[in-house]
Amino acid sequence: MTKIGLEIHCQLTRLESKLFCPCKADYRNLPPNTNICPVCAGLPGSLPILNKKAVEKAAMISLALDCKVPDKISFFRKNYFYPDLPKNFQITQYNAYGPTSIGSDGAVQIEGKEIRIRRIQLEEDPGRLVYEGSSEKTQITLVDYNRAGTPLVEIVTEPDFENPRQVRIFLNVLADLVENLGVSDPYLEGAMRVDGNISVGSGNRVEIKNVGSFRDIEKALHFEITRQQSLVERNIEVAAETRHWDEARKITVSARSKEEEQDYRYLPEADIPVISITGGQIEKLRTQMPESIMAKRERYVKKYGIPAQVAEVLSSDKFYSDLFEKSHSAGNAKAIANIITTDLMGFADTREKKMELKVTPRHIADLADAIVGNKLTRNSGKAALYEMIKTGRPLAEVVSSLDLGNLSDASSLEKIIDEVFKEEEKAVAEARQNPSTINYLVGKVMRKTKGKADPAITLEILKKRLS
Amino acid sequence: MMVDRKEIAHLGDLVKVDLKDPEKYIAQVEQILNYFEGLDKVDFKSEKTLRNEIQYDDLREDKYEKFSSDGRPLVDFLKKAQDNFVRAPKMI
Amino acid sequence: MSLDISATEYLSLVREGGLSVEEFVAKTLERIAKVEDRLHAFITIDSQKSAERARAIDKKIKAGERTGVLAGMPVSVKDNICSTGMRTTCASKMLEGFVPPYDATVVSRLKAEDAIILGKVNLDEFAMGSTTEFSCFGPSRNPWNTDYVPGGSSGGSGVSVSALECMASLGSDTGGSVRSPASFCSVVGLKPTYGLVSRYGLVSYSNSIEQVGPVARRVEDIALLMNVIAGHDPHDDTTAKRKPDDYVQDLDAGIKGKRIGLVKQMAGEGLEKEVSSATEAALARLQDLGAECVTVSLDAIEHSVAAYYTIASAEASSNLARYDNLRYGFDFGNEGYEFKAYVSKVRGNFGPEVTRRMLLGAFVLSAGYYGKYYLKAQQVRAMIKSQIDDAFKTVDLLVSPTMPILPYKIGEKIDDPLKLYLLDINTITANLAGIPAISVPFAISSAGLPIGMQLLANSFEEKALLQAAFSLQQSTRLPGVPI
Repeated sequence: MTKIGLEIHCQLTRLESKLFCPCKADYRNLPPNTNICPVCAGLPGSLPILNKKAVEKAAMISLALDCKVPDKISFFRKNYFYPDLPKNFQITQYNAYGPTSIGSDGAVQIEGKEIRIRRIQLEEDPGRLVYEGSSEKTQITLVDYNRAGTPLVEIVTEPDFENPRQVRIFLNVLADLVENLGVSDPYLEGAMRVDGNISVGSGNRVEIKNVGSFRDIEKALHFEITRQQSLVERNIEVAAETRHWDEARKITVSARSKEEEQDYRYLPEADIPVISITGGQIEKLRTQMPESIMAKRERYVKKYGIPAQVAEVLSSDKFYSDLFEKSHSAGNAKAIANIITTDLMGFADTREKKMELKVTPRHIADLADAIVGNKLTRNSGKAALYEMIKTGRPLAEVVSSLDLGNLSDASSLEKIIDEVFKEEEKAVAEARQNPSTINYLVGKVMRKTKGKADPAITLEILKKRLS
Repeated sequence: MMVDRKEIAHLGDLVKVDLKDPEKYIAQVEQILNYFEGLDKVDFKSEKTLRNEIQYDDLREDKYEKFSSDGRPLVDFLKKAQDNFVRAPKMI
Repeated sequence: MSLDISATEYLSLVREGGLSVEEFVAKTLERIAKVEDRLHAFITIDSQKSAERARAIDKKIKAGERTGVLAGMPVSVKDNICSTGMRTTCASKMLEGFVPPYDATVVSRLKAEDAIILGKVNLDEFAMGSTTEFSCFGPSRNPWNTDYVPGGSSGGSGVSVSALECMASLGSDTGGSVRSPASFCSVVGLKPTYGLVSRYGLVSYSNSIEQVGPVARRVEDIALLMNVIAGHDPHDDTTAKRKPDDYVQDLDAGIKGKRIGLVKQMAGEGLEKEVSSATEAALARLQDLGAECVTVSLDAIEHSVAAYYTIASAEASSNLARYDNLRYGFDFGNEGYEFKAYVSKVRGNFGPEVTRRMLLGAFVLSAGYYGKYYLKAQQVRAMIKSQIDDAFKTVDLLVSPTMPILPYKIGEKIDDPLKLYLLDINTITANLAGIPAISVPFAISSAGLPIGMQLLANSFEEKALLQAAFSLQQSTRLPGVPI
């Protein structure tokens, strides 16, 4: 049996300041070393001052993953030398002497399978290394500390995954969850990083590090399963080791440095006192948490009668479920859910495209109302939607300028149907014989009206005339 | 506790200090560690340890503040290579 | 105009316009120039800026402008406390050339009250030592006999205050580093309650137990400085939220009716004879002053030296990891080096005592040993604290000699680290328990060497502690410094 466990690093990108100092949490796109202070650059005499909101957001992740949040939270130092680490230790959390990390013992259900969460810890991100020079001889390392000290949550699972597919599903669920919580933007470069560990059968555990993206962790795990299985088949023992994912060659390679032998000499971080948090404060945080994706999904189904599949798609996407929340009323909820999941989501499926949308909750509400009130057909609705997305013009304006309004008055429709009857004598005769072919005639009417004919009224007239 | 050359070299590697005269440290470190071993014989009535506490409500609010020292950014006080990067040795 | 004047007296003279700061500071700088080559208290002296500041304060006073409560007071600061515009070396080769971009909170508070920082004073490298011999700039010398050590690690603070090179000093006390030089140099030194004074800008050695502490010739000057430096600091999460007391008010309240306990384990066989008799005399004096003296036993102290050095070494090994000279510190080109080789090479420039403690720290924290050493040390610490809490249920203060022996000669014990560690037995208890302790000059030995008495109080009871120290001081007449 294959056993896979994950360590996911998730940046708390929605914070204003770093974990232990008031420098910007958003280090992206800044010139090197312009977002640093004595604390995050590790100057002598500086002291870490813990960001309350970081504790709050990490606690929310813990609660959302069904973890226990202890009433005493403490920090430890993990000691190792590396140039991206200004103090040559990382302030993190450690549960070897009792559960004092922000969360522990949680669980997530994915497709009926329980993935246990071992612990969740709040820690600082190191700086960034940039390598220059092509050959080993000329290589130099440049360090940018802008990222140093930005808040990171590490989520450690038990080795509960049986295959890479479950890993992918879990990671998607997790990404949606942290986005829905408003704590992270998982699609930002480097905002979510995954390390894995995997063992096949009773073989040794292998750590996989240096994986750039979600997609690559799946590939890396597949590669490892094949590699380990083929070793087992040849009666070769799988070495307990750390392997790096080589993105270019799409294989894992043994890490030359003996990382597993590192002795981190953990010790309590005395500069940060033990944080005492009451049950009442934790409960208050729980009430401040946005509705979970699960709860949202259930509400969509129960309250509005939205089909389960549509509700699932809609609730998992923070951007679109927010749009739904802001635009719907009892009467148009179902129509809005449809518009968003069938038309809008297909049109704008990436973060960039979502950002470019000019459509507002007002647009969506007006559109749904028009469709529900038979003033627009689904087809015309789609055309109007695409126009609004691009221009941001109000619905009424779009409908009149594109001439999309429904043809629903009987006399106009009668005239058009007259024409169709003249042109399609054979089909009319056939429809009289066999009423199931009537849709062909409806289609003809639609084509003549460029999709504006009200399908219900059209059908009604056609039936009357054919009988 | 016996401390030998190998152990001293290992400790030196953990804290990353080249020991110019490792012999000098062996006897001293061994003597002091043996003294520390007295701790192992203490009969404790309680397992508790002493730690300061801070209330969650007293933690720092999440506010951005730009650092400057007399109008100068911190990087002006650091050793720099090109483009304000700090230069580190080869990592291989 | 004598330089041997209390700060309290000096400041009121200055405020009333009866004394020129410029003149006093000039005279102090002359004194420094005269004695420094024999004492070596200072690492950096800022004569020019000090003179400018002095003139500016005189001008402010003349113009009737508001001035700070320490207006014109010349002080020195231990060179492990960050100060802008003045290098901060920690007496280490590793920090050569480092000029901090920020002031320690205690420094900015002194500056805000118009004190004049004359310069930065000597210490054992990164405050590790109790003699000031482990300074990369060479040892400081005891003004009472320059062949002798001045104590440490805040040796420069003790020497500069004792030898009238400044009026007061800020030191730091991790295991007695303020009280040891205070005792050896016949001045007053206070280690405040952990969390009463900000550590922001104090270069960490053992951050769970150390505090910045004032050194002065008079207890009233200590009270004055505490009024300025004590209190919560948003830059230090370990500072207590509570509002500090006014330590100057009611300083002369006396100790009538107080119960004072002599700590048995600090006054036993290890005491040198003259220290022992001074201790007896001190108890008699306290009784004369109206206190009731009893003996208190804190048997956990037996393990305090082992616990202290375990914790201090462990924390030191981590706190000093940041010194890799990539970002600051002395120039050591890293071109051509591989990272690990470079770091080890550059860090080979730490002195022997710092290196020793880092090695010990690495050992006690390494995999498999944490439970045997570090955790046990923390438990001893909790045990000491709980015994002290019990003791303070029956007594108001504790007393002991500050140091078990008289000052000794430079070089005498430098090669026997364990012996030196054991001499900290009386001072480290306050650090492990986080309680305040003060060393007050009490006697001069037959060979002319100072003996200090230590008083200890419960956490945040500095006011009662200073009142007792003041009583003891007022009843003691000691000769002036011979240099």
